[in-house]
Amino acid sequence: MPSAPRRAPRPLALGSPQPPTAGPLPMDEETYLELYLDQCAVQDDLVPPRSPLFSPVVPYVYPPNPSNPETTFNSHLESKETSGDFSSVDLSFLPDEFTQENKEQAVIRSKHEIEENCETQSQQSRLPLPSGQDVGPGLDSSSLSSSRSHLHPGDANSIQSSPEKANSNPSPLASITPMTPMTPVSECSGIVPQLQNIVSTVNLACKLDLKKIALHAKNAEYNPKRFAAVIMRIREPRTTALIFSSGKMVCTGAKSEEQSRLAARKYARIVQKLGFPARFLDFKIQNMVGSCDVRFSIRLEGLVLTHQQFSSYEPELFPGLIYRMVKPRIVLLIFVSGKVVLTGAKERSEIYEAFENIYPILKGFRKA
Amino acid sequence: MPGGGRCPDCGSTELVEDSHYSQSQLVCSDCGCVVTEGVLTTTFSDEGNLREVTYSRSTGENEQVSRSEQRGLRRVRDLCRVLQLPPTFEDTAVAYYQKAYQHSGIRAARLQKKEVLVGCCVLITCRQHNWPLTMGTICTLLYADLDVFSGAYMKLVKLLGLDVPSLCLAELVKTYCSSFKLFQASPSVPARYVEDKEKMLSRTLQLVELADETWLVTGRHPLPVITAATFLAWQSLQPSYRLSCSLAQFCKLANVDLPHPASTRLQELLAVLLRMAKQLAWLQVLKLDKRSVVKHIGDLLQHRHTLVRTAFREGTAEMETQEKELQGRGQGEEVGNSSLGLPQGKRPASPALLLPPCMLKPRKRICPTPAVSTVTGDESISDSEIEQYLRTPQEVRDFQRAQAAGQAATSVPNPR
Repeated sequence: MPSAPRRAPRPLALGSPQPPTAGPLPMDEETYLELYLDQCAVQDDLVPPRSPLFSPVVPYVYPPNPSNPETTFNSHLESKETSGDFSSVDLSFLPDEFTQENKEQAVIRSKHEIEENCETQSQQSRLPLPSGQDVGPGLDSSSLSSSRSHLHPGDANSIQSSPEKANSNPSPLASITPMTPMTPVSECSGIVPQLQNIVSTVNLACKLDLKKIALHAKNAEYNPKRFAAVIMRIREPRTTALIFSSGKMVCTGAKSEEQSRLAARKYARIVQKLGFPARFLDFKIQNMVGSCDVRFSIRLEGLVLTHQQFSSYEPELFPGLIYRMVKPRIVLLIFVSGKVVLTGAKERSEIYEAFENIYPILKGFRKA
Repeated sequence: MPGGGRCPDCGSTELVEDSHYSQSQLVCSDCGCVVTEGVLTTTFSDEGNLREVTYSRSTGENEQVSRSEQRGLRRVRDLCRVLQLPPTFEDTAVAYYQKAYQHSGIRAARLQKKEVLVGCCVLITCRQHNWPLTMGTICTLLYADLDVFSGAYMKLVKLLGLDVPSLCLAELVKTYCSSFKLFQASPSVPARYVEDKEKMLSRTLQLVELADETWLVTGRHPLPVITAATFLAWQSLQPSYRLSCSLAQFCKLANVDLPHPASTRLQELLAVLLRMAKQLAWLQVLKLDKRSVVKHIGDLLQHRHTLVRTAFREGTAEMETQEKELQGRGQGEEVGNSSLGLPQGKRPASPALLLPPCMLKPRKRICPTPAVSTVTGDESISDSEIEQYLRTPQEVRDFQRAQAAGQAATSVPNPR
């Protein structure tokens, strides 16, 4: 992630742009964020800085139209790259009287609406993105996917042309307020759950002699009477693995998907060095646990009353409320102090999505 | 009594089943009139007093039901009778047990689980009728472990897809307080300690409501809060004689178990009452502490709604950390920011934050958010890193020798 918000625009030669996915691609999202910041750096010269650089919603950050990759990203260099792409934009929400120019203005204004909505909402709880925290790609994947229809990357250059157009076309229709964005962007919480634990499995595809492994490896413990697997630990990434004689392995304790994969590979390498023909097949993340803090106290009794079909609150058994969200299928533990634990995810985006779903519900119980 | 029979002589409904030389009779317990005699009757009035025989007592039902299910159903009925529940509860609990038994997972469960399942069905029935039965009571009656019970309970609720309402706090207060043996003088209870039940109940209820409002109940086991509230209510009704009695002594003479968290809840409740007392002008001058505030609980409860509103204000965790920082820097003179709120002059103390105790406690050292790692998962793994985890051949030999020596030591039979 760039540490400074402003960087000189550079010609961007990306590889083949990938099709939009709903799943998390943290690395790709970071690259897209860089692109967005580059564009903003240029646009800041032309347009008064209305667009918040650090807004979690980045309407421009989305894979471009596969048909013309270069033109969209080099658009800031060629201001003549005009709005010919508007044909692919779905502007059906606008009244029919709109001309092409007014369409541009209305779309531009709606984009600014979205940015301002999010800006005012997230003013207090703004996360400085360049400081290195994960943007949380899944945070707005739903909003992005739905707003994509009327926010075309090609509009990036139309911002530059808007000042001229606004002056030259004082059409009465231009003052019509744009439609509200399709997704309630004003609800974004600005809090990102931190991943605490990742559980993954991998198949080493060979029979293992656990006694031999326990004998030759310093970091292994094996007590067949207690449990039929070797428990092995490594220091970097700090993880624990259960290695079974069938060749299957479970790796726990990593804080990110990549760390889990690296750790699993290290365990496989250790088993290889011990003389077994270990391979690395079917690596799969089975469970992800995240946690965060909403920073206000929550009336759990009230929450269980209104969301009875999802919640289970038994203070005699456990101090937290167990909320079983249906979509995405995540279990949340909600405590009176405002701390929330999310578990049961197979992907990072599920955790972010679940938290964004629960945050408005919890805010409703803020005032006792 | 079932059947709703009335005695033809005195009209009372207190009919008791009695057996006179092996012949069952229905006798009025007030006047002694024999209402029915045996099963064969001749008169019309007698037939009107016949009691129905439930289907479960007849022979037809049991043939379709497996023996273990029969045992379970009997246990359900027994438990309902021991707890003296209304008869409708019994039928509901039995229905739940039968419904659960239709699932193969339940049929294949161990006997211990099935035993605990009996308690779960009864608990769900009671909860749905707002009957205040705690899990602790059921576990004591079934000699079951709370962990086993909780697992079975959560699974059953999920399996049957039931909506189980929360424990009704007001009802629990009434039942629990009535179990305290303080309402009659006895050898163990001195005269000064005896208290009127109604007064104690109403005051305990008010204290529990106050605790609920000030975040002392959410997330905690309800019973210790009620114990603490009962103790305070009892003390405050005659403080001059009772202040010397401690919580443990109180529970002992009332013949009630003292739950462990009750003393903490007591301290928290007293802290809340002290804050409220600071808002009353005539109490401010008295410089109350945790013992003397008990004398004024009556007044505080009378005005509790106003006092809670003025003594506390809504806050968030950020405000709490800010205030702690300010205090740490010695800026407590700013009355507006100080949450301790020592009164300056005659002004009531500034409001404290209304937050659960877990948010008011000093924050633990926050783990620094882990630096974003640039791990891709596909980096190359150096050999040296792997070697550090492997034993050298020499170490392997040493380890094997040590293991053999250890095993030899344990396998040698001890001559003693």
